[in-house]
Amino acid sequence: MRSAKNIPVVLAGLVLGIMVVVAGLAVAWPARADPDTDFANQLHGDGIYGQKDYNAWIGKITCKRLFSGVDTDAYKSAAFLTANLQRGTTTEQAWRFLDAAINTYCPEQTPVLQLAAEQR
Amino acid sequence: MNLRIGLVGLVMWGTVNATAGIANADASEDYPIPNRILKTTCTAEQIMAAARDVEPVYYERYMIDYDNHSQQIQQATQDQIHWFFSMDYAGRRAYSEELAANFADPLTVAWPNHQKLFFNSKGVAAHTTDTCAKYPPDDQSVWNW
Repeated sequence: MRSAKNIPVVLAGLVLGIMVVVAGLAVAWPARADPDTDFANQLHGDGIYGQKDYNAWIGKITCKRLFSGVDTDAYKSAAFLTANLQRGTTTEQAWRFLDAAINTYCPEQTPVLQLAAEQR
Repeated sequence: MNLRIGLVGLVMWGTVNATAGIANADASEDYPIPNRILKTTCTAEQIMAAARDVEPVYYERYMIDYDNHSQQIQQATQDQIHWFFSMDYAGRRAYSEELAANFADPLTVAWPNHQKLFFNSKGVAAHTTDTCAKYPPDDQSVWNW
């Protein structure tokens, strides 16, 4: 009799526990988001398509070229992107891609973009 | 009737053999080493610099693989690639024949893909050899990526 009375309490505790776990997962989710997915979403917002994996590689390589000095300014980065993004990519889209790549994969390179904007 | 079937079979067998013969002749000109690589006057470093610009993902993946091998393997790879590009067409073609005959050296055993950037893709070879001449011939920095 006593154990039968305890059943609703146990069930309530169980439900509460599940809610806490679900809420915890929901809070933790944004922190564990995949940067490649964020990058793809940002590109789609700018009307730039193409294979997600390929674009992620190119975004990261663009950063690497800036870090290593192979590309010494944003104009060289944009030229690299125009040559390697899918056919039909406009100059404006190449610059938007560069902006998204730097934002996502190497925000410390943002001054390169600012410098190019000032030179325009 | 049986004679007719036999003749058709004979003609088909001949066609298959002829096709295989043509395929083999083509393969020796372009496989396993692409013809463009056999004939280019570019150095290994020029090919790599071109790949970094026009086949960036292919170059990146090769260099990640390269970096994951010991310094000894890396040096052996450089030496072998330099040796290959120091040869003329006839020497390269002879080496290609050796590769086609399942030639394997200790370096190939240690790192089967050590020539991948140069030999594995006709498309990549076409793109890199199109533009390689404009890069410096001795820029060793292409090995540090």
